[in-house]
Amino acid sequence: MAALREAEGDAGLDLGDVLGPSSDIATRRRLSGWRRVVVGLAFPALLLAVWAALSATGALSERLLPAPADVAKSGRDFVFASKRSAVPGVVPFRGAAAEHIQASVGRWAIGYAIALGVGLPLGLALGLSRWTSAAIDPLFQALRSVPITAWLPISLVWFGLGNGAARFLIFVGAVSPIVVATADSTARVPRQLVDTARMLGTRQRDLARRVYVPAALPGIVTGLRLGLTLGWTTVIVAELTGSSRGLGAMMFSAREVSRLDQIIVGMVAFAVIGLTGDLLLRAVTRRFTRWADA
Amino acid sequence: MGGRLTAGPALAAAGVAKSYGALPVLADITLSVAPGEIVAVLGPSGCGKSTLLRVLAGLERPDRGRVEENGQPVRGPSPERPMVVQGATLFPWLSLRANLEWGPRALGDRDARAIADELLDATGLRGAADQLPRQLSGGMRQRAAIAQVLANSPPLLLLDEPFGALDAQTRLRMQEWLIGLLAERRTATLLVTHDVEEALLLGHRLLRLSHRPATVVQELALDLPEPKGRATLADPRFVELKAGVLAEVLDA
Repeated sequence: MAALREAEGDAGLDLGDVLGPSSDIATRRRLSGWRRVVVGLAFPALLLAVWAALSATGALSERLLPAPADVAKSGRDFVFASKRSAVPGVVPFRGAAAEHIQASVGRWAIGYAIALGVGLPLGLALGLSRWTSAAIDPLFQALRSVPITAWLPISLVWFGLGNGAARFLIFVGAVSPIVVATADSTARVPRQLVDTARMLGTRQRDLARRVYVPAALPGIVTGLRLGLTLGWTTVIVAELTGSSRGLGAMMFSAREVSRLDQIIVGMVAFAVIGLTGDLLLRAVTRRFTRWADA
Repeated sequence: MGGRLTAGPALAAAGVAKSYGALPVLADITLSVAPGEIVAVLGPSGCGKSTLLRVLAGLERPDRGRVEENGQPVRGPSPERPMVVQGATLFPWLSLRANLEWGPRALGDRDARAIADELLDATGLRGAADQLPRQLSGGMRQRAAIAQVLANSPPLLLLDEPFGALDAQTRLRMQEWLIGLLAERRTATLLVTHDVEEALLLGHRLLRLSHRPATVVQELALDLPEPKGRATLADPRFVELKAGVLAEVLDA
């Protein structure tokens, strides 16, 4: 779990949320429901007001941080403005939200799908077979310690500029938490459950499907969530690989012309989409993991 | 009860020994269980009772000796010879009903649903059929775990301190329930316990184990009036047997 906790910090997930109350982490008492919502909205609103006030008085230079109203206006243009005809070599902004989001989410989806296809079977093999684990785990742990940006040069050599390299990087970002969580939670399935299944007549070859996977599913889902979020944060690195479409591409292009407002619009879009993805995944997997909820 | 001459023992172990590394756990165990018979194995904590049961269940191999079921050597776990341990092992992601249907479904029995219905009635848990295990009380879970393995109608049942985790009243109710259920189904049972009263109440015959490494040091026919239940606890013969066994246990 140690590795998971680290990854969790990166992905900004709520540990208590993911591990549940049975975890050994001391938890503070939480505020009651409506108080949490009110405070959770009021504090950002306060920050926004301070930001707006500082901008209005000129205390905050536009070159450091543009006024919230300007960012909002750029956001509106990004989403709703009518599109200009494309200029070759220029990354569009006005009215280009759909285009960029589609490009980024598309890369994310494909990279994540590959990470699922590789990570789940690999994690199961590591969790179920001591031989596989002994053979692959050291190599996997070593590769896992290579930062995602360090994969960038080699992925450019392998795949050239473009979508291939981007998908590969997103795959690399998403696959480790999936493998680690799947292997870990599969290996921790209580022996008693497996013994009971065998004594009830379950065939050896059905044990993985009928016992290990369902019993490990809550832990696997944690890995799937971390992988999804990490994959999304990797999108921006992936879009350093010469994409002309995508939220990351838009933000780098905005930086070249010092459009801080557009950069912030991109950051907000990243946050909203990442959060939405996580919520969707939780909604989809909830019925498989509800039994393990407190 | 006693062994019937017409049928061989449901389960027989001869000269079974088992060590974990340098630690000898079972020294030399010979025992048999006749069809329909309930044998209570009494032993101090840590004497290797659970190891014995795991060997009999086929979950572990003995270092020496033989274990046979109906004359056939035991090679692995089997639905003919299931074991239920303390702290029930239901599948936590499945409803109670799905847990009871697991065994028959694994064996391809098309009557799984009917079997589960019957067992829900036998355990008095029909109202909880759609609940998850964690929504059940400890006693309900333990009954359900026994019912789960009985769904395959095994000729022999292995119980490892099945009621150890329950409070005294619940335990007595469960013991009465189990006595009735096993008598009705004529399921041969080997029950391992450290509780003298439980051994006397449930068993037709008692085997007492030594400290580790375990051997059988006493065998005792429990000639108590049937049907047994809470009234048995006050029966003069029960009191006498209990005093005798306790004296042996305490002097051991």
